[in-house]
Amino acid sequence: MIQSQKSETPSMKRHMGMKASSRISNTASYVVLVLISVIWLIPFVCILLQSFRCESTHQVGYIIPQKWGLDNYRNLFNTNFPRWYTNTLITALFAAVFQTIIVLCMSYTLSRFRFKMRKPLMQFMLILGMFPGMLSMIILYQVLKDLGMTQANSVPGLILVYIASSGMGYYVSKGFFDTISKSLDEAARIDGATRFQVLMKIILPLSKPIVIYTVLTAFMGPWGDFVFARYISFNVSAGMNAAVGLYGWLSQDQISKNYTMFCAGGVLVAVPVTILFMCLQRYYVEGVTGGAVKG
Amino acid sequence: MKKLLSVLLALAMVLSMTAGAFAASLEGTYQLTIWVAEEIKDLTAQQIEAFNSSNEYGITIAANIEAVSEADAATSMITDVEAGADIFCFAQDQFARLVQAGALSSLGKQAAEIVRTSNDAGVVAAATSGDTLYAYPLTSDNGYFLYYDKSVIPEDHVDSMEAIIADCEAAQKYFAFEMGTSAWYNAAFFFATGCVSEWVTDDDGSFISVHDTFNSPEGLIAVKGMKKLVDSPFHLSSSDGASFASNAAAVVTGIWAYTTIESILGDNMGVTDLPSFEVDGVSYHLGSYNGCKLMGVKPQTDPVKGAAIHRLAQYLTGEACQMERFDARAWGPSNLAAQGSPAVQANPGLVALYTQNAYSVPQGQIHGSWWDIAKVIADDVKNATDEAGLQQALDNYYEKISSLFTMSDDEKTSWGVIGTCNSVDGFFYTDYNNESRSNWAEDIPMTADGSVWTTEPWLMEAGCEFKVRQGKSWDNAFPADNFKVEETGTYRVRFDADTCEVSLIPAE
Repeated sequence: MIQSQKSETPSMKRHMGMKASSRISNTASYVVLVLISVIWLIPFVCILLQSFRCESTHQVGYIIPQKWGLDNYRNLFNTNFPRWYTNTLITALFAAVFQTIIVLCMSYTLSRFRFKMRKPLMQFMLILGMFPGMLSMIILYQVLKDLGMTQANSVPGLILVYIASSGMGYYVSKGFFDTISKSLDEAARIDGATRFQVLMKIILPLSKPIVIYTVLTAFMGPWGDFVFARYISFNVSAGMNAAVGLYGWLSQDQISKNYTMFCAGGVLVAVPVTILFMCLQRYYVEGVTGGAVKG
Repeated sequence: MKKLLSVLLALAMVLSMTAGAFAASLEGTYQLTIWVAEEIKDLTAQQIEAFNSSNEYGITIAANIEAVSEADAATSMITDVEAGADIFCFAQDQFARLVQAGALSSLGKQAAEIVRTSNDAGVVAAATSGDTLYAYPLTSDNGYFLYYDKSVIPEDHVDSMEAIIADCEAAQKYFAFEMGTSAWYNAAFFFATGCVSEWVTDDDGSFISVHDTFNSPEGLIAVKGMKKLVDSPFHLSSSDGASFASNAAAVVTGIWAYTTIESILGDNMGVTDLPSFEVDGVSYHLGSYNGCKLMGVKPQTDPVKGAAIHRLAQYLTGEACQMERFDARAWGPSNLAAQGSPAVQANPGLVALYTQNAYSVPQGQIHGSWWDIAKVIADDVKNATDEAGLQQALDNYYEKISSLFTMSDDEKTSWGVIGTCNSVDGFFYTDYNNESRSNWAEDIPMTADGSVWTTEPWLMEAGCEFKVRQGKSWDNAFPADNFKVEETGTYRVRFDADTCEVSLIPAE
């Protein structure tokens, strides 16, 4: 091919050849991408379609509903689902706010301050972070139970658990703060700004992506949590989050009655996260990669 | 004077307290948590209302009812008994775990007597550990039978497994019968040929021993039948009633799937007992487990509250409440009077279940590990290519069952006699005159005198064989070839652990 181009094709023709070949490779990659996205989207589409199925409530062997409608969504409001949803929302919002504050303060401190135990502290947290959190579940359950924060009161208990160790997740944002020039701080300090003002007025406006990334991850954890939430709520419906409550509908005696409603619940759980991601996607990517490069 | 007054007052106080205690009045309001299945949650609330207004003890129950499936209740209870419900419902296979965990309080004498006389024998056995009754029977419908699509399988074919498989293959539709994922279903084949798996528990819910004959000539017939089913390309290992909506023509499942299947198949729904399968020209009717759901009461620190809760549990499992559950949700009653009522007798699903019950085995106490050990048989059978492979599946099973009982050091080191000598007609060993005991299945104990071990004397027939083995395992067993009895007579078996020599001593 190269040889033939060299020997007889004028430059104009070669240009068209390149165009054609790039078109072929584009088509091929689009076909592959479409295929992959179809495979990737099938479960979501299935759940979405099943949630609109009205002719029956059990699992069926087809995907497209025969009778469409919003019955499943309407029925959700006659169950405990609104309560579960509220629980999840409250937990996730509180966790997001507190965790963000703690993480940002922690990162700022470790990035800008120099104190005696700084390095040992960072190493200690690194090692502590390797300890699988699930192992502490049983002891945490006992502690929360003694504090009266399980069963129906599980929401404050869960918030406490989610934000408790959040200070250790400082890596990404500290990395990002390190990229912001220190001379900015110094300039502000000379002009009379306090450390806090430096954080609020200089650092944070410059690190929007990382703040948004922190908020998002802090929100997502509690939003989709199942294991811990199930353990803490201990079969009390009023203390469940959406994932735990919905799971109850999959038990043998309920699945044929509640399967489509389960799908509707799943869709509603996915909605806020999807919207959040769509709006903040740009920052999210910047945030993930931003902290990785040290300037 | 003051002193006297105070003494009198104190006395009066003590008297009033003891009087209260003796009268043991249950009158009062009790706060409790109750876990029931979602579908009877509202019904249970109504039943508790009815109990509050009608009971003669003046008990008022303020119940907090949570929907917890019977499958999850036991696990939650064991995780944290203290935080668990005061009354909870569970499937009977969880019973032993709950007794062991101390999550069940036993029934009083009177209550136990009422439960024993008014419920069917299978459920009473399921709620009993040792001699103690620990739970109230809620249903007796936890068994399985055959649902089929009349448009695919003609009614006169449903008695034969082979015919059903053929019909399904011809119609390119599935025969759903859960095999490799559930011992509860695949045991049907073993019960068909008369195999047994019986576990013995003591009063604390601990397992003492097992009598299991799955690894036997009958067991081999059973796995041959199973092989026919699992080898069919149209066998589906599932017990989901909704399989009918995805190309199944026959499903083996329980009464809980009735309404779902009815809504899918409509008039084409057929229900009947399980079919028979044929091996070497002999037909065997598939067996099944028949099980139940139970209602348990958590042990209480306050005995008065405990008594009140037991009254409630007794009421909730009585005939009237069971009938209400049948009317509302078609839960098959365990109460004998309710079982005999015309309404129950008119329910086709329950009639099929009761027909199948003639071939079923009451699901007694079963070791928790058994389910996982036994379900593997079906996969081993599917992978087997010849009879040796089938036998291997049973051998694997037997080995795992045997290893379940960890023995004490004494048991591990002591010797025993095992063979055909303890079960031949007319021959007996003092404790071993039970003819149903299989050959090579039970060890006859020996007692030690220094390094010499001997049995009690018993009558042995010429030609019977045995080995002496240590710790009920084959690691140390003598003689290498079985010891053969040459002449009929009453003997003691003698074993010298130093020389490993086995001999018979004629009894004086």
